[in-house]
Amino acid sequence: MDAPVIRFDRVTKRYGRARGIEDLSFEVLPGEVFGFLGPNGAGKTTTIRLLLDLLRPTSGRIDVFGLDARRRSREIRARVGYLPGDLRLYGRLTAREHLRYLAGVRGLRDLGEGEALARRLELELDRPVHALSRGNRQKVGLALAFFHRPDLVVLDEPTAGLDPLMQQEFNALLRETTDDRRTVFLSSHVLAEVQHVAARVAAVREGRLELLDTVEGLRTRAFTRVEATFRTPPAPDAFDGIAGVRELERRNGTVVLALSGEVDPLVKALARHEVLALDSHEADLEDVFLALYREPVRVP
Amino acid sequence: MFRDVALKTLRDLRRGFAWWSLGLVGLVALLVAVYPTVRDNPALSRLVKQYPDALKAFIGFGGQVDYTSAAGYLGGELFSFMAPLLLLLAAIGAGARGVAGEEEAGTLELLLSCPVTRRRFVLEKLAALTVEVTGLGAVLLVALWVGARAVPMHVSAAHLGAATGSLVLLALAYGALALLVGAATGRRTLTTAVVAALAVAAYLVAALAPLVSGLDPVKVVSPFYHYTASDPLRHGLAPVHALVLLGIAVLAGALAPLALERRDIAVA
Repeated sequence: MDAPVIRFDRVTKRYGRARGIEDLSFEVLPGEVFGFLGPNGAGKTTTIRLLLDLLRPTSGRIDVFGLDARRRSREIRARVGYLPGDLRLYGRLTAREHLRYLAGVRGLRDLGEGEALARRLELELDRPVHALSRGNRQKVGLALAFFHRPDLVVLDEPTAGLDPLMQQEFNALLRETTDDRRTVFLSSHVLAEVQHVAARVAAVREGRLELLDTVEGLRTRAFTRVEATFRTPPAPDAFDGIAGVRELERRNGTVVLALSGEVDPLVKALARHEVLALDSHEADLEDVFLALYREPVRVP
Repeated sequence: MFRDVALKTLRDLRRGFAWWSLGLVGLVALLVAVYPTVRDNPALSRLVKQYPDALKAFIGFGGQVDYTSAAGYLGGELFSFMAPLLLLLAAIGAGARGVAGEEEAGTLELLLSCPVTRRRFVLEKLAALTVEVTGLGAVLLVALWVGARAVPMHVSAAHLGAATGSLVLLALAYGALALLVGAATGRRTLTTAVVAALAVAAYLVAALAPLVSGLDPVKVVSPFYHYTASDPLRHGLAPVHALVLLGIAVLAGALAPLALERRDIAVA
């Protein structure tokens, strides 16, 4: 097996009021798109900024390309492209001037694939970025993350503001990147954004790793989603302890349940109440994912 | 290969530099134009001589208050207050923008994702600051030299150069200090306020030291004391005072990368 491109080994970062990450371990392999999921504030951005040495871990060890992320950061960053989650550009400069500036800082003689990327993304190279829409500024950020053909691309919520057509172009860009055995670390708060491009996903919640699985593996966790509406809401624990049944959510008289075992015990349990409406269907991947999140946080 | 950060910083300063230059040149032109009237008005000279000592302390610029000589006039009207005010504002502004400004704007995030060390980044900001402040000093010196010849004023180019040089060193010291505080805190407004407050305190200590006996021993910690102490317009720049100012700039400039090196980069 190839040496991992990114390796987090029991990394903890605590700071101030903002939530950090706690005892996080995972590996990203060469040539894969690694989906890094979690709700806003779960620690995704913290994780990314740690691997770029913008933040320093409280404890634990981070390696990128097998190099220590702290001491060898400059070497690492020469081979990484980064799109920040909250992209800030120099308002008065154009996209071309941004490319030129970062090319200079990176010690490159030309704009690399910058112009080709701009054509693909339909980006105007010669307008000051303050005059661009949010989506177009995001394209500038993408061009800056990819133009120097980095071995690792780190993208923090990259599709924010991109229209669906551009999203397709973006997915194609990711595929070409991994076709060259280059690696993509892709963070998002929605599974739908990464499930078509990523082979493996990790999910964090409240700074801890909740899940690390292949997209395929997630699918096998599929269940039936049962939505029942009652005349009078059942007691909060009405569906506890039934084999294969888990309550997902509850609003007014409607209870949503995940069923992964036999149907009969649930039907018997429902029959004890007056049911006004009943609906059930196969859960899609997003449901599976959300259900995983609704499991209580494990307390160590 | 990595001088790009300094060059871009200077390019961003172009407009600001033009305005500061215009201000300095305008100030010099005004003062020089008024000089013959002041010189030839004995009543005004007598009045200035009768100023209370406290007031004289603020306009002395290291020597006697004397509006009949070119040195006394320029010291009192330009170098004791207005010129340091303008240059320090420019220098502290540039120092605070250097690290804290880019960090608050969020552009530091993108820049430090490139293979630039933080040390390199800060040192390039320091280089840009040095070029800007020195450039403003050069503009001031040329304006003074041209003005002094036009009127004419009896003050040598060497003495004008000494006074301007002392001013540039003072501004560099405070600019580097602002870079250091900005690198340590990442907050631009806070940095500007803290360093400006330090400058005002140092200015008061230096000005009041001759009048308040308790302040006299502590005046040596005030950069403003070293700025004026050699009486540069009459006696040139004494190396010891120049070296103290240079030392402050070098020390602050050397500490600034360490301050940024030690901490997390804030998100905008």
